[in-house]
Amino acid sequence: MDPATSRPAVVIDNGTGYTKMGFAGNVEPCFIIPTVVAVNDSFVNQQRTSNKSNRLTQYSASVMADVDFLIGDEAIARSRSSSIYNLKYPIKNGQVDDWDGMERFWQQCIFNYLRCDPEDHYFLLTESPLTAPESREYTGEIMFETFNVPGLHMAVQPVLALAAGYTTSKCEMTGVVVDVGDGGTHVVPVAEGYVIGSSIKSIPISGRDVTLFVQRLMRERGENIPPEDSFEVARKVKEMYCYTCSDIVKEFNKHDKEPAKYIKQWKGTKPKTGASYSCDIGYERFLGPEVFFNPEIYSSDFTTPLPAVIDACIQTAPIDTRRALYKNVVLSGGSTIFKDFHRRLERDLKKIVDARVLASEARLGRELKSHPVEVNVVSHHIQRYAVWFGGSVLASTPEFYAVCHTKAEYEEHGASICRANPVFKGMY
Amino acid sequence: MLLLQSPSRYLLQILSNRVQNLEKGVELDCHSVEFDDVRFHVQASVKNPHILLLSVSLPVPPPEALFVGGLPFGAIEAIKAAYGVVAQILDPPRDGFNLTMKLNLSKLPLDEEKRHVFLVKIASVREVVLGAPLRVILENLASRSLTPDIGRLVALVHRPKESFFLVPQAEKVTIVFPMRFKDSIDTTLATSFLQEFVEARRTAGLSNAPFCLWSPSQPLELGGVSDEALSANAGFVSFVILPRHVEGKKLERTVWNLSTFHAYVSYHVKCSEGFMHTRMRRRVESLIEALDRAKPDGEAAKKVGIRSSFKQLGLRDARSSANSYIRLRISSDCKEDEWKLYRSFQTQS
Repeated sequence: MDPATSRPAVVIDNGTGYTKMGFAGNVEPCFIIPTVVAVNDSFVNQQRTSNKSNRLTQYSASVMADVDFLIGDEAIARSRSSSIYNLKYPIKNGQVDDWDGMERFWQQCIFNYLRCDPEDHYFLLTESPLTAPESREYTGEIMFETFNVPGLHMAVQPVLALAAGYTTSKCEMTGVVVDVGDGGTHVVPVAEGYVIGSSIKSIPISGRDVTLFVQRLMRERGENIPPEDSFEVARKVKEMYCYTCSDIVKEFNKHDKEPAKYIKQWKGTKPKTGASYSCDIGYERFLGPEVFFNPEIYSSDFTTPLPAVIDACIQTAPIDTRRALYKNVVLSGGSTIFKDFHRRLERDLKKIVDARVLASEARLGRELKSHPVEVNVVSHHIQRYAVWFGGSVLASTPEFYAVCHTKAEYEEHGASICRANPVFKGMY
Repeated sequence: MLLLQSPSRYLLQILSNRVQNLEKGVELDCHSVEFDDVRFHVQASVKNPHILLLSVSLPVPPPEALFVGGLPFGAIEAIKAAYGVVAQILDPPRDGFNLTMKLNLSKLPLDEEKRHVFLVKIASVREVVLGAPLRVILENLASRSLTPDIGRLVALVHRPKESFFLVPQAEKVTIVFPMRFKDSIDTTLATSFLQEFVEARRTAGLSNAPFCLWSPSQPLELGGVSDEALSANAGFVSFVILPRHVEGKKLERTVWNLSTFHAYVSYHVKCSEGFMHTRMRRRVESLIEALDRAKPDGEAAKKVGIRSSFKQLGLRDARSSANSYIRLRISSDCKEDEWKLYRSFQTQS
């Protein structure tokens, strides 16, 4: 038997904002770090000279620069303290954008964070439902060629999120997964573990837009934040203070009546001068998450609220699954952990469904009574890394090793074995 | 960055989280695996929040390595010396592990800074346990005390069923690593990496670094060792450690660097592969750009349309044919990489 199957598999969930990584069988990921690489770019733009020895020193310096990079929180800290490091975000909107950055990121994750030998472990990576086959091939190529992994499985994020909900709250494998990450929002209906591919809906509003909106609000109010820091501050504000309100008007009134209770303070130091500053956090606390429910306050390009998108998604699913889908709306991703997010979503969704039921009853006359449609938005405490947890559960079952693409298969057939989209093949 | 750090990040994270939230202790049961098949298991309960059970499993020792009660010789003394009252060794250890320690977090030093240093020390339990025999021998070398096993070959485990060898002598210790790799590409890269590694030792800046030697066949010191223990597909590396390399604070670092030498090499083989891929990708991109420019206008417009719909058949074809050419170019670039890596390793130890 392959000795690698006796060791726990490595589960890495690369999100646009944060990467969750750890070993299968654990309840929590070992590390949750920002998906960011700080690269030393100071050699790239140097003038090339014809002098040979000079060229050589330049060349070896650029080789050093190749090796000289950091990831995660260390990367952010380093780019603040020195100007020669540039931050790169290898994943954009849920898709890998910069493969060099991604390869370096994985290399550091495996060797410096998890500190494992990739040849010893099977790997489970995740991908969004809209990943192109080519990018899956690239991932397979990097994993098998560079890291020599014995086996690799790429799972679809929403299915894993549903599996996580399945094990924590004993709901069925039929449900709608609302995955609101930093880089993308997907609404994915899953019936009995099979993704209904034609009904997947994605909307261009995600956690990053919440951050940008918070940043904009704070800038427009004229808060005293250094511009180079404002995105990071907005992100922290979003993570620490934002919540979902039930009614904007009431919430504005509450804030105006008791500013002492609702307005928070943020303190920080300017990265360049080291001087400390402080600013107020006011309406953006509830206006940030509001972009999901009233997108028109953020941009005029996309104005369908999230509950309406979920409803439209379920309406395009096969008719016999719709009731079950309404009953089990599962949340996943970091941007769904705003306080009371699930309550608001459930209420708004219920409103739409009830309105439709009433309308159809009115159309059909009073005689026909339909069963009330049960709407349930499931929330659990591991929402933030639900996808990772689902992966951990999946990878600790013995069946997992059977469905992996193995190194032998890769060598026989090439990267095309990773091409097939598992979205349309169910759990595995 | 270029060297593997001795404390395990994961253990350190768990420990410092635990210490910071000692009153509201949560149930904890997690495991992790490090390179060379070292496994950790951490367990804590709500009832006794300041007690933490840390189990360590070591790589399966080959027959020639010396193990006492499931641990390398000198390990128990090393643990006692390093952790004192905080750790208590449980006997027998948990099922499937070589060592179980009961850590009493309430006995940690109260001073913030000292406590952190101590936690880092606990997180480097791997170094303490696996490096124990090596440390004993090198300490003897540093104090130049004569030990009974002078001139006798000592085998120490560093990977599952694999060991490296030490020849302690009065004024020096010779350490021989048989290098093995699973993958044929890794083997080739490692061989050329090691050759460069030895070559780089000769440059002026590194004259104080330990002598090292690479040979494709086994060195003479290893007479009388079974052939099985000496089957190496990437040759043998030997280091000669002199007393000046293990003086004072240098000892710990030398022990760690030597006991993880294989992991270091395989890490950098992987790095080199990564850099090669980066270069290949860059070169392919520039070639495709050149191809695109060479096309007549009508065709170029069509090409853009195809690309945006994710059909990259053209790109992939170009890639495979370009690869062989690029490999040739890159092999010369790579030597530079390895040389740089070597320098950093040498200056550290």
